[in-house]
Amino acid sequence: MEKNTSKHIIGRTVAYIVFISWTLITILPIFWMAYSSFKSNEELTRNIYAFPYELFHNEDDVYEIIAPQLNVTPDYDTETDTRERMIIESTSISPGRRLMVHFLVKEDLPQEILSRDIGDTLTLSELPKQMRREISRKTMLFNYTSAIQRGGLAQKFLNSLIYAGVSTFLINALSLMVAFALSKMQFKKLSLIVGGLIGFGYLLSVNSVIIPLFLMLSKMGLTDTHIGIILVYTAFGLPLAVLLDTQFISGIPGSLVESARIDGASTWRVIVSIIVPMAIPVTVTVSIITALGIWNEFLLVLVLASSEFTKSLPVGVFSFSSLTSTQLGWQLAALMVATAPAMIVYFIFQRRLTEGVVGGAIKG
Amino acid sequence: MKKRDIQALPTYLILVAPALLIYLFVVAYPIGYSVWLSFTDFNPNKGGQWDWVGTLQYSTMFKDPNFWHALKNNLIVVAVSVFGQIPIGFILAYILYRKKVKAVHFFQTFVFLPQFLSTIVIGILWKRLFQADGPISRIIQIVSKDPQAQFELMLYADTVMIPIAFALIWVYTGMYMTIFLANLQKIDDHLIEAAKIDGATESQIFLKVIVPLLAGTILVSSILAIAGSLRGFDLIFSITTQGLQRNNAMVLPIFMYQSAFQNYTNEMRFAYGAAISNIIVVISLILIGISRLVGKKTDY
Repeated sequence: MEKNTSKHIIGRTVAYIVFISWTLITILPIFWMAYSSFKSNEELTRNIYAFPYELFHNEDDVYEIIAPQLNVTPDYDTETDTRERMIIESTSISPGRRLMVHFLVKEDLPQEILSRDIGDTLTLSELPKQMRREISRKTMLFNYTSAIQRGGLAQKFLNSLIYAGVSTFLINALSLMVAFALSKMQFKKLSLIVGGLIGFGYLLSVNSVIIPLFLMLSKMGLTDTHIGIILVYTAFGLPLAVLLDTQFISGIPGSLVESARIDGASTWRVIVSIIVPMAIPVTVTVSIITALGIWNEFLLVLVLASSEFTKSLPVGVFSFSSLTSTQLGWQLAALMVATAPAMIVYFIFQRRLTEGVVGGAIKG
Repeated sequence: MKKRDIQALPTYLILVAPALLIYLFVVAYPIGYSVWLSFTDFNPNKGGQWDWVGTLQYSTMFKDPNFWHALKNNLIVVAVSVFGQIPIGFILAYILYRKKVKAVHFFQTFVFLPQFLSTIVIGILWKRLFQADGPISRIIQIVSKDPQAQFELMLYADTVMIPIAFALIWVYTGMYMTIFLANLQKIDDHLIEAAKIDGATESQIFLKVIVPLLAGTILVSSILAIAGSLRGFDLIFSITTQGLQRNNAMVLPIFMYQSAFQNYTNEMRFAYGAAISNIIVVISLILIGISRLVGKKTDY
């Protein structure tokens, strides 16, 4: 092969160019999204590529004192906290739009500032240290706090966790039971039918039956409930889980099960004390694939959830982004809230995910 | 059946029943429901009153220009996955397999990454990147030295599928690459060594040894790709803006969603939507059948 050295070098170079550019096309947009989520809208308009600066260098930010108005929503509980406040608005971040507003407790302010009138300005450095710190921190996280508060993302984050967590648990429990029955009990024909039925679901998705599901669940009063949504996720998670679990449990020697039986262990005992501990690797794989899939799922929740109480993160982020199309910084922060957890899980469990996807595709 | 088997039957049923019941109720029953629905005039405004209407929904659909437009776009998406994602994924996997690059794991991790991010988030992200005053436009302005230049492909019906195809390849190629790489790594090295000793060139090894060995994997991947791209909803829904742009890039699942859940003027909207969903399933079964036939014809 030595005669082909130059050809080899060209081949290698092309291979590197392809992979490096592909990797860059993946990393750069995500990187841009990550750092731009810390930029103010004004900065994004000025230069879409520059690194964040304004929100972090906020010591000399100038604020204007404004009058209380209906469109200025307090960030504290007005019922329990009746201390008098001075309201100030940033003159550099979304000025005049009542988006970057702080409520300063008057009793903590020096006399000199209290004597100023509405319309006057003050700079951050004039304020007491404690206040300055808090405003400075709020400014840095301006996009994130705005997105989380205005988009109600905390509730949606929790919902996504519930959907992914509970459904994944149920899928694992049910599919381990089925997989044990299919691979370690002697009902070949029955198992063929059960396995075939569930396997068929592998080619379907929620999207294919969303209309009948909506009508059925409406009739039962299960739309817009956590239970209804979890039920559907559980059912659609089963085919892949049963497939992978059956592949795995078939590989566990039957003699282990037999000897436990001879020692008088019941089927439940065998599953709980022998199968489940041994099946931990495949359970981890199934859990990650399933949980990430549910975390990212969109259409089911879009159709079934009508209240803020049941919406998941992707639906929340989507509607937030259509409602606030002018606030790019907020949107990018919302996108980060939805992607960061998935990316962390992905980077920790990448090898397991690969195994699961490959295992599912071979027999799929 | 042996006596012991019959004793074990209740246990077997208890193990299988919960999963099977949920599955039959949520997956199998709705399929039948959907077929039934599509032959009725089910009216949600009148408490679900219905009558048989034969193939009315289907004939309405075949007369609807939006259906043909969505079908055309959907077939483009299928083509992009079968003739784009799969061959590119295969070539990328082959490069990694033959160790043409180092840091195989590093590259695999990043090519595979988009698959596991929310498709909605990816759609919104690319929508922002492609926006008229967005980052891609800025690059075009710098390269072309024309400060007015814009990324325009998203704006016109003729070209909107090009950036979408790009995004689709970016998201899904990693999955096929991973599947192919795992199967390539199972190939016995001796086969390739033997071919080399027989004087086979690199391209001959690829075409005559590798590709035939992976024919089954290619077929399975094609089936996954066809089924996946016909039901794909999220990416195109979120990468386009509501209205003209989304209509330009309409695919069948979006057409189904809009007909069933947004078009309140049609009293039979659920029945009509069900007809569209059923056609999506039928089309994917036909395409999967064709790919199996092609797979058999080219069997080595």
